[in-house]
Amino acid sequence: MTTVNNSYQDNNNNPAVAATKQPLPPAKSVDTQSVLKRLQSELMALMMSGDGGISAFPEEDNIFCWKGTINGSKDTVFEGTEYKLSLSFPTDYPFKPPKVKFETGCFHPNVDVYGNICLDILQDKWSSAYDVRTILLSIQSLLGEPNISSPLNTQAAALWSNQEEYRKMVMKLYKAV
Amino acid sequence: MEAASSVSDLGILDSVDDASITEIMESWDGFCRATEALLNGHGDLSVGSEFVSHVHSLCKRSLGSLVQDHFLRSLEETFERNGATRFWRHFDAYTHVEVMEMSKSPIQENGIQKVLYKALDDVSLEKQYQEKCLLMLVHALQSYKDSISEERHNSDAERIHLFSKYQLIVSSVLMTTLPRHFPEILHCYFKGRLEELSTIMAGEYEDDNESDDKDDMDLDEKNKVSYRGEMDIDECYQRRKFLENNKLVKNIGKVVRDLRNLGFTSMAEDAYASAIFLLLKDKVHNLAGDDYRSSVLESIKEWIQAVPLQFLYALLAYLGDSVSYDNPSSGLKSPLASHPSSCYPGIDTPSEGLIRWQLRLEYFAYETLQDLRIAKLFEIIVDYPDSSPAIEDLKQCLEYTGQHSKLVDSFISALRYRLLTAGASTNDILHQYVSTIKALRTIDPAGVFLEAVGEPIRDYLRGRKDTIKCIVTMLTDGTGGNPNGPGNTGDSLLEELNRDEENQENAGIDDDFNIDEKQDWINAERWEPDPVEADPSKGSRNRRKVDILGMIVGIIGSKDQLVNEYRVMLAEKLLNKSDYDIDSEIRTLELLKIHFGESSMQRCEIMLNDLIDSKRTNSNIKATITQPSQIGSELGETGVSLDILDATIISSNFWPPIQDEALNIPGPVDQLLADYAKRFHKIKTPRKLLWKKNLGTVKLELQFEGRVVQFTVAPLHAAIIMQFQDQTSWTSKNLAASIGVPVDVLNRRINFWISKGILSESLVTDPNDHIFTLVDDMVEPGKNSVNAGSCEELLVCDEEGERSVASVEDQLHKEMIVYEKFIMGMLTNFGSMALDRIHNTLKMFCLADPPYDKSLQQLQSFLSGLVSEEKLEIRDGMYFLKK
Repeated sequence: MTTVNNSYQDNNNNPAVAATKQPLPPAKSVDTQSVLKRLQSELMALMMSGDGGISAFPEEDNIFCWKGTINGSKDTVFEGTEYKLSLSFPTDYPFKPPKVKFETGCFHPNVDVYGNICLDILQDKWSSAYDVRTILLSIQSLLGEPNISSPLNTQAAALWSNQEEYRKMVMKLYKAV
Repeated sequence: MEAASSVSDLGILDSVDDASITEIMESWDGFCRATEALLNGHGDLSVGSEFVSHVHSLCKRSLGSLVQDHFLRSLEETFERNGATRFWRHFDAYTHVEVMEMSKSPIQENGIQKVLYKALDDVSLEKQYQEKCLLMLVHALQSYKDSISEERHNSDAERIHLFSKYQLIVSSVLMTTLPRHFPEILHCYFKGRLEELSTIMAGEYEDDNESDDKDDMDLDEKNKVSYRGEMDIDECYQRRKFLENNKLVKNIGKVVRDLRNLGFTSMAEDAYASAIFLLLKDKVHNLAGDDYRSSVLESIKEWIQAVPLQFLYALLAYLGDSVSYDNPSSGLKSPLASHPSSCYPGIDTPSEGLIRWQLRLEYFAYETLQDLRIAKLFEIIVDYPDSSPAIEDLKQCLEYTGQHSKLVDSFISALRYRLLTAGASTNDILHQYVSTIKALRTIDPAGVFLEAVGEPIRDYLRGRKDTIKCIVTMLTDGTGGNPNGPGNTGDSLLEELNRDEENQENAGIDDDFNIDEKQDWINAERWEPDPVEADPSKGSRNRRKVDILGMIVGIIGSKDQLVNEYRVMLAEKLLNKSDYDIDSEIRTLELLKIHFGESSMQRCEIMLNDLIDSKRTNSNIKATITQPSQIGSELGETGVSLDILDATIISSNFWPPIQDEALNIPGPVDQLLADYAKRFHKIKTPRKLLWKKNLGTVKLELQFEGRVVQFTVAPLHAAIIMQFQDQTSWTSKNLAASIGVPVDVLNRRINFWISKGILSESLVTDPNDHIFTLVDDMVEPGKNSVNAGSCEELLVCDEEGERSVASVEDQLHKEMIVYEKFIMGMLTNFGSMALDRIHNTLKMFCLADPPYDKSLQQLQSFLSGLVSEEKLEIRDGMYFLKK
């Protein structure tokens, strides 16, 4: 019978000192520089996140105006669709929410014919902890789970109960981009 | 007064009567006959008196000019018939002299020599006779003039006039009948003579060497010592020797003089000049050869003094004062003519012609040597620094000739042909580059030509992937070892670092590296080429210093890349250290700091400081164990104590990305690590340790029945073998799950133990699953080499080449992934984009660390990579996402 007896000399296990991050002090006066920085880091985070079905990118020369893209989630009536959005950020972002609109017509209880979206986190429930990625994810999930109680599109809200008909309606109105 | 003018002659002709005409006719006929008899008389001057009287009577009739003309024409005809034709006939046998020259037969050369002597003698004799006849005419004319007038005429003028006319006739007759091979014969003759002379000199150089084939030389042994004496032997002795040797030169001098008399002045000069140059060229080639370890310039100069100049001196002295007259360019005053020359102790006052000759010969020698060396410059530089004497020679030659551009062109083409090819390793190219810099720095301290030569090498190296790595290795090479050790220090750039450090200690702060690129650019734009006539030894006006490190960094383009690569290499080195000994790294870093600035090396400095801190912290933590309270009892149970654990604590933010690999290490060890971390936290609150459990080395000892085997392995290997302590057989899937690594990693790493014969592998039905079993009986013969007693196996870096630090390529790859995500992101939202727009958008928004800094071309090739991966499509110059 053999025995394995080891003497461990783990002289190079490299522990890294945990960096204690200091929370950023809330900026009282918003300077453009910090907004730019915030948007840039959000862009970086969004690009690196690799979330399927959502994307956004600043327009050519203006980082305050983004174009967004959302794909309808699987197993919802919006499956296989792709919607374009526009996001425009205020200069005091992230203390104020961005204005988000559908550029592609979207047949949805909480989206009106002009593309305006009724979503609480884009209005009164906004918090500076949200970012582009969470906004897009929220809108994506809103597609599958509309708030029927306060509709902007009453026809859509009425039809929602009949998913089969609703799907037909969506596909009829959806113009493939 | 009866002036012999043609106008009055004609007037007289009108008035003459028949009797006078008859008399004139008789006189004329008599004169013609006498002339013919005289010229063909072969020394018979008996017709002289008759001739004189005829001349007198014709002159009386004012026909003196006719007499002269006729006589000269007769001379010409006679010379053409007797002199020239015979003269040339001597050489008929040598029509194909070039062919004979090839055969190099001494007999033939001798033949030429004899024939030439004979021919020249004959023709000179003929000429002398004719001159005598001419003199007779002159006397006849003179005596007539004297008889009719009391006052004395300027007889010399008449004589000189006639003789120069005659000289002209001789020359033109010979020239018009010149056979084509005559210059060749002359050349051949002079070459032969000079070679003889040179042989004598050579014999004299090797004093003991009896030169046996002095053959036709009428010189005795004493001559052998002659010219060398110029330098050190006293003047009288030297002079005597020289005169003894004079006979050979005299022979040559006679030939030259005869040729000159015949009007072949320039042809003779051409012939011996070309013979001298040819000999000099041979000499240079002989002396220089393919040996670059010694300087040959001095011996060539000595030889020029000893052989050709002595020859010319003797020749010019023999020819007498006519030298300066004959020298075609004597009208030009040589700038060196008044230069007091110490080179001629044996020659009282070197003539201007001789100095000019010396200058010409030396220039030719420099040029020949320079051409020779330039053609072989590549080899010379390969041999550098052994070949530095050859470089030194070349430098002097170039200073003299100023043909630097020849060097640049020739060397660049040699580089392209021989070095900058796929077959040459990057290291070799770099070493040759460094040697080139060092060698050319000698030739051209200002670095002007180096710049031109270095450019193709730099361009080429930029195209190689491992250039930076090689450079960093060269920079840090030898740091680990003994600095006085036997390494090839000539190649190491570390030496260069050291040297520059010394320079800087004297020179103060070096601005070369600290000036930013903008300043660099401004400097570059302000630069003007050194004036052609600038003395290279004085350096250029702004005193640029040829800085090897600067030129090496110049290959890469920016020091940042170099520093980054160094950081990765340093990290690798430090992580593999099992002691905390980093003295050599500290020294290298200090040197690099001087060159690249403190700020750029800051991260590396933090890394080294981490090591120093680790050592201190480690000993502090160890110190806490010795306090007997604490948890000593627990440790006793596990059988492992903190004593055996040394940790390297790094500030990972400042290190290059470190490969992280999940790993379940054995419980007791894990507990040990946790304990260590706890103690660390106690000392260094609020900081906490995060272990990188896959890194480091483990020394372990395997005890079998009656045997002990020691290993130094990676933690993963230790974790694997620990699993076999309680269970001697594992399937790969289970083992992988237990250790917490992917199966493929396990299969790769476990090979180490299989190769050591500790474990054995057997296949089961499932091809993806293996069974590993502990080999119980390791003494089984032939199984492996580990079969007796204890032996220590040292594993520093396993063969798979696992690295603990992400290499620069990996980092680059990561950068590219970021770009890819950005490109995908923008194309998702904008549909299609042109290359320009993608480029600009990336520039504007991709501000990652490091920010987007690629060129349009680099982006294009990256995009076409994505297209070929079928991630993108391109149509009409627009990029789309592939759906």
